[in-house]
Amino acid sequence: MLLELAAIKKSFNGVCALEDGNLAVQAGEVHLLLGENGAGKSTLMKIAAGMHQPDAGEIRWQGRPVRLRRPAEAASIGVAMVHQESLLAPHLTVAENIFLGREPLKGALLDRRRMERESAALLGEHRFPLQAQWRVERLSPAQKQLVEICRAIHNASSLLIFDEPTSSLSQEETGEVFRIVRTLRERGMGVIYITHRMEELRAVGDRVTILRDGRTVATGDLADFSTEQMIRYMVGREVPTLYERTPLEPGTELLRVELPNASFRVHAGEMVGLAGLMGAGRTELCRVLFGLDPAGDGEVCVEGRPVRIHSPRDAVAAGLAFLTEDRQQTGLALRLPIRTNVTLTYLASLTRAGFLHSRWEARPARALMERLRVRAASIEQWAGRLSGGNQQKIVLAKWLFRQARVFLFDEPTRGIDVAAKAEVFALMDELAHNGAAILMVSSELPELLQVADRILVMRGGRIIKELARPTTQEEVMRYAAVGE
Amino acid sequence: MLQRLLPFLSLIALFVGLSIASPHFLTGINLSSVARQTAVINIMALGMTLVIVAGGIDLSVGAILAFAGFMGTRAMESGLPIAAGMLVGLAAGFFWGLANGLLTVRLRIAPFIVTLGTLGIIRGLTLVYSGGLPVVGLPRGFSFLGEGTLLKLPVVLYLLVLCALVTHIILQYTKLGRYAYAIGSNREAAVYSGIPVGFHTVAVYAISGMLTGLAGMIEASRLMTGQPTAGQGYELQVIAAVVIGGGSLSGGEGSVVGTLIGAFIMGLLANGCDLLGISPYIQQAVIGAVIILAVTFDQLRKRRFEKA
Repeated sequence: MLLELAAIKKSFNGVCALEDGNLAVQAGEVHLLLGENGAGKSTLMKIAAGMHQPDAGEIRWQGRPVRLRRPAEAASIGVAMVHQESLLAPHLTVAENIFLGREPLKGALLDRRRMERESAALLGEHRFPLQAQWRVERLSPAQKQLVEICRAIHNASSLLIFDEPTSSLSQEETGEVFRIVRTLRERGMGVIYITHRMEELRAVGDRVTILRDGRTVATGDLADFSTEQMIRYMVGREVPTLYERTPLEPGTELLRVELPNASFRVHAGEMVGLAGLMGAGRTELCRVLFGLDPAGDGEVCVEGRPVRIHSPRDAVAAGLAFLTEDRQQTGLALRLPIRTNVTLTYLASLTRAGFLHSRWEARPARALMERLRVRAASIEQWAGRLSGGNQQKIVLAKWLFRQARVFLFDEPTRGIDVAAKAEVFALMDELAHNGAAILMVSSELPELLQVADRILVMRGGRIIKELARPTTQEEVMRYAAVGE
Repeated sequence: MLQRLLPFLSLIALFVGLSIASPHFLTGINLSSVARQTAVINIMALGMTLVIVAGGIDLSVGAILAFAGFMGTRAMESGLPIAAGMLVGLAAGFFWGLANGLLTVRLRIAPFIVTLGTLGIIRGLTLVYSGGLPVVGLPRGFSFLGEGTLLKLPVVLYLLVLCALVTHIILQYTKLGRYAYAIGSNREAAVYSGIPVGFHTVAVYAISGMLTGLAGMIEASRLMTGQPTAGQGYELQVIAAVVIGGGSLSGGEGSVVGTLIGAFIMGLLANGCDLLGISPYIQQAVIGAVIILAVTFDQLRKRRFEKA
């Protein structure tokens, strides 16, 4: 047994994050750690990586009790973590990031050549499409994730913890990560792998541990669990794995796009999916529609009228809403209250003679919070303190408050748990029922197939195919990956 | 809650402490002199609060103060009435604030750099235009602004209250103020929400410039000269006042009440050191230490809040 965590307790300011966390990993196995958001997965792993100290419980390394007071102490016994968010220094090179904190020296000076040589060797060994001298700020999110992985592999010799490594990766890149994980296992390392994506599990896991509400509720060989069983353990009740949606009769045409690389329509009550591999240009298309990037030639009509959209301001005025992939960066002001975030898009509706009336403001904010079933103490709570799913709802509330009619959703379910996903889909469905037109980008193909009325497939920056319901993952993937 | 009130409680403690320590502190003459001395920094700090809330910074305010004071007094010297001279001063401040805002927005350069640049430009232009010589021989009535009293209280105090009220209303009850918080808190999210970010950023700098112009006229009135080298180093005191009052240099936080408290804490510290015969050399060090202390406490409070 490599690492054992037994009866771990941890609370933050009286809020209990872990009640009874148990996990045992062997050398040469891939151990999946499952649980909904807030189940305590990340806390447990941060304790294993020396980033948090447990309040009670025992950590044993190869049978002997140990204390891990710092990440450096964990690293010294051979444990490292690949983080969910990028913790890289953007202005440094790939090599410098891999060696960050343990730079090789030549006398008193940095041994840059050795750093680059060893990084290049490491990158080559794992067949990562990266150069040691590249600056990290210019890398895509997926490439950054690879650098994170590289850094962790370089740091740890015995046990590697992956915290949702594939949430920002395309199918192809996910395959790459799995390949790396398998290589590590073959070398006799232990791997702990946290994930939300159920469909990934079988491809990599040997054993599984499931957390719910801070407790370990099940552990065992992956082969002994069916997917339904695992979901039941995670949520503690029966949750439909899939969201049931009855397609509506499409209403009037709300969005018509005639651009050189994309031509399509979306009607009221319709949910149109935008599929493609990472880098196929899906987010870029949304950015163009929302006026963040220049459109070039072509025409966009909203509610039948041609509109010129040169800025997000124009887009908002035309009735568009853009719910971005990265809620924290572009969706919310994290250190402002929910109320402020919600009303930001349409303050004009709350002003008289130039003055804001905060009393008028509270009512709609509260009403939207209730309608979207946001779980928060009050509308004065900071948006940054909400969970991912609730943050997504606040972003949606912003656009409902603006009375937008055309919604661009970019990866709406990214980083949120199964139950919250179902809720987000229910809300999108409700939007459609209320006459909104929805364009939805998602890398979760099974999800997209379930909720979308039609699927537009992008490849190489262009929409190359429109697939009507019912279609299959294989068909979509064929167009997305091969083109035919 | 106690920690939220900490700046205010420190101000009260300082006030009480000084009343006990020095018999000269709690006198009408001394208190109105404190009010006069701090009014200039205070009014500038109000503008700076807007800028800092919106995630910006303006290092050129000291230079703007000198420029505006000089232009305003030059106008009076050349025969314009006092009121017109005042307007010239305000307009000069507004102009440079506008320039700072437009440069940051249009050139997409960090405001720290832009205003470091304009700090040099404005200082240089003021010296070139004045030949380094102050404007003297101002109309006698002009001293009423900085030194006069109205109903036994210094005129500058009324001005300060008025400016503070207006700034408070702007920050809390107008779109501009709300957008300032939003832009400072998360500029990207503000853009994605369809807010005209550029316009509101410029507006914030322009208002700050205009308030600095007013401060320049007060400074000139107190000295009864248009001093082209006035306001050296004021930018740091102004920023310090905002920061002591809870403003965050990363934007999105700050308030008028906080800034007023911050400016008065600094004013009382200086006054107290004078009254107690403490060397002005030490004063600087004390104020420096207070800045670090204030921000430390503020950080502790926020960290606890965030974890909860």
